[in-house]
Amino acid sequence: MGQPFDYAPERPEHIDTILDGLDRYNPETTTVFQDYVAAQCENQTYDCYANLALLKLYQFNPHLTRDETITNILVKSLTVFPSPDFSLCLSLLPPHILSPLSASLTSSHSNPAVGDAPLSEAVQKLAVLNAHLCAARYDAFWSTLDGDDLYADLVADVSHFEELMRVRIAAVVSQAVREVGRATLEGWLNLSGSGFEHFVGEVCGWGVEGEMVRVPLNKENEAKGTVVRENVKFDQFTRVIRRAYEQPV
Amino acid sequence: MSLRQPAPPYQHGEAPTQAPEEDSDIEEEAMVRDYQEQVQYEDGIDGFDPGMSMAGGATDIQAQLIAAATPLEFGANLETKFQSYDNYCNLFHYILNSDGPVDPEMPSYYWPWDVIDEFIYQFNSFCSYRQRVALKNEASDDITLLRENPNAWGCYSVLNVLYSLIQRSQISEQLAAMKRGEDAAPYAGEYGNRPLYKMLGYFSIIGLLRVHCLLGDFSLALKTLDDIELNKKAMFARVMAANFTTYYYVGFSYMMMRRYADAIRMFSHILIYVSRTKNFQKNASQQYDSITKKNDQMYALVAICVAFYPTRLDDTIHTALREKYGEQFNRMQRGGPESLPLFEELFRSACPKFISPTPPDFDNPEINIDPVEHHLAIFMEEVKNNMWSPTVKSYLKLYTTMDLKKLAGFLEVEPEQLRNWLLVNKQRSRQVRWSEGGLLDGQVVNSSDLDYAMQGDLIHVSEAKVGRRLVDWYLRNLARTY
Repeated sequence: MGQPFDYAPERPEHIDTILDGLDRYNPETTTVFQDYVAAQCENQTYDCYANLALLKLYQFNPHLTRDETITNILVKSLTVFPSPDFSLCLSLLPPHILSPLSASLTSSHSNPAVGDAPLSEAVQKLAVLNAHLCAARYDAFWSTLDGDDLYADLVADVSHFEELMRVRIAAVVSQAVREVGRATLEGWLNLSGSGFEHFVGEVCGWGVEGEMVRVPLNKENEAKGTVVRENVKFDQFTRVIRRAYEQPV
Repeated sequence: MSLRQPAPPYQHGEAPTQAPEEDSDIEEEAMVRDYQEQVQYEDGIDGFDPGMSMAGGATDIQAQLIAAATPLEFGANLETKFQSYDNYCNLFHYILNSDGPVDPEMPSYYWPWDVIDEFIYQFNSFCSYRQRVALKNEASDDITLLRENPNAWGCYSVLNVLYSLIQRSQISEQLAAMKRGEDAAPYAGEYGNRPLYKMLGYFSIIGLLRVHCLLGDFSLALKTLDDIELNKKAMFARVMAANFTTYYYVGFSYMMMRRYADAIRMFSHILIYVSRTKNFQKNASQQYDSITKKNDQMYALVAICVAFYPTRLDDTIHTALREKYGEQFNRMQRGGPESLPLFEELFRSACPKFISPTPPDFDNPEINIDPVEHHLAIFMEEVKNNMWSPTVKSYLKLYTTMDLKKLAGFLEVEPEQLRNWLLVNKQRSRQVRWSEGGLLDGQVVNSSDLDYAMQGDLIHVSEAKVGRRLVDWYLRNLARTY
């Protein structure tokens, strides 16, 4: 809670140095950032601010672009939904990336140099996943993910992707829910049987009671009514007090 | 800040006023006082030596300085734009790479702002134009010319200028010192002690904010302002256009980071300031014209943000908003699919003219999409995601507990759909809001006066009631008794 957007607890020092200096624009640092993205995929850490810096380098030097790294960054940003990270990454990609595929596909046939039709396709596929997540359609998220082999390739580099997503979904759900039907939650988490019971019980610490799953009270799902009181600052009285000195009657 | 330079006499009537404190009664008085102070400085100008130390090419340099801060003619052709780019390169080369600091007489107090402003404006419009030409793909000399000059107005050189000015002037070190409450002079170095460099450096930071935002890098845009304190003492507050630009881009970046409360705070601050100083500003009519347009844009953005973060606006702003966008404002707050075209229209009219930093692909004209469309598409995703929240909330407000299936029946949707909406609305009501520290700092807070939790199919609703606001009323009545 309350951490600046550019803060990442596990960020190595040399990345910090690059980010704070002009080297963040130096095309030679591209490989450093790429390795860092690979490391994030592997160790389940996440550093949006650094990833955006890499996307910016790609934006300035399109010839350095590595599709795989871009999709890995996007997949990583899915794991922190509903934060705006996915959108912020999209903003730094080329403007045609979201345009209907047919157009860019045909042009890539006539000119292979364009070469990023596959990237467009991948990005748009991931955008579909993101849309499902943001709209809380978790069932649809899992069925889309499982329904296309391309997704398996896209998320392959991000270790424990499914687990990360489950934890994230559980966290988001726990904000809004005190009790939820077991069947519903199974759908949201794409788990059933003992796997479900283990995840809900051990990982989340929630209680399964028959057909209901009970989520312990937390700050967000309490939904307690409050009364907002007025904040009075001394400054507001400046005029009154000054007035008292100006006109002693 | 102690930068009390005497304002030169040709600025009469344009004296920079200081930005007021947020929304308080003493503002106006403070502004008037400031204004008078400034005017007095103009009277006491006798001792002011503009520091003309250049011999020979002085007039030549003067002409260059003036040209650099002057807009190009409307519809200027490409050669003129290339030429203008070269001129900027020469001028900045002269300023940055001469033996030691140079000391030409500034054509006006506002020159450093004007030149950075114009420089970025030309970069912006050049990139937009280039993209448009490539997309249209009509055979013309322009395409040939643009193909032959891929490096003109390159993003690296533009950034290079801005960063070099910042480094030369050691403005970041100076600002950091001021933040600590120290005197900035010892940190300024040979260059940074001179007003020319100091101001160029300072406004380059704001220039960077703008360029990053134009390129779609909103977090870096906000990060850029880390050294600058956004308050009435900020140096940019003395130049109205700079003041305005800063708040516009900061607010916009916040909006794209989905920090609507912060965006509204930024826009409100500057809009209130403008409305209260209108009478002073009118004298400086030229500056005022450009401000009017941005003013309307910011009202449009406030309208958008309020749809995401329903809140009580300052009365001045609320009234003006109703006047300008009353109908749209209401319909956007109501949400639903009918509101989508309105969001689109207002976003288009109020967003910065986004650019793509690299030369377009002239061989594949159709892929050179206008970056504005790209950012619009990204933004609209979020709008769509949020569009049912007003409906859901309007019903929840009526109950303290409610059955999910029953409510779904009222709304004529499947219960599962409603469950999703409730989850979405809950997520969207948790927004990051600034409380202290850098612009990127912030805490997650509940943005809504409504909160709820689901217990199976039962929705528990709670409300945050706002207590009566007495102080304002008390002060007003107290003032009346005098």
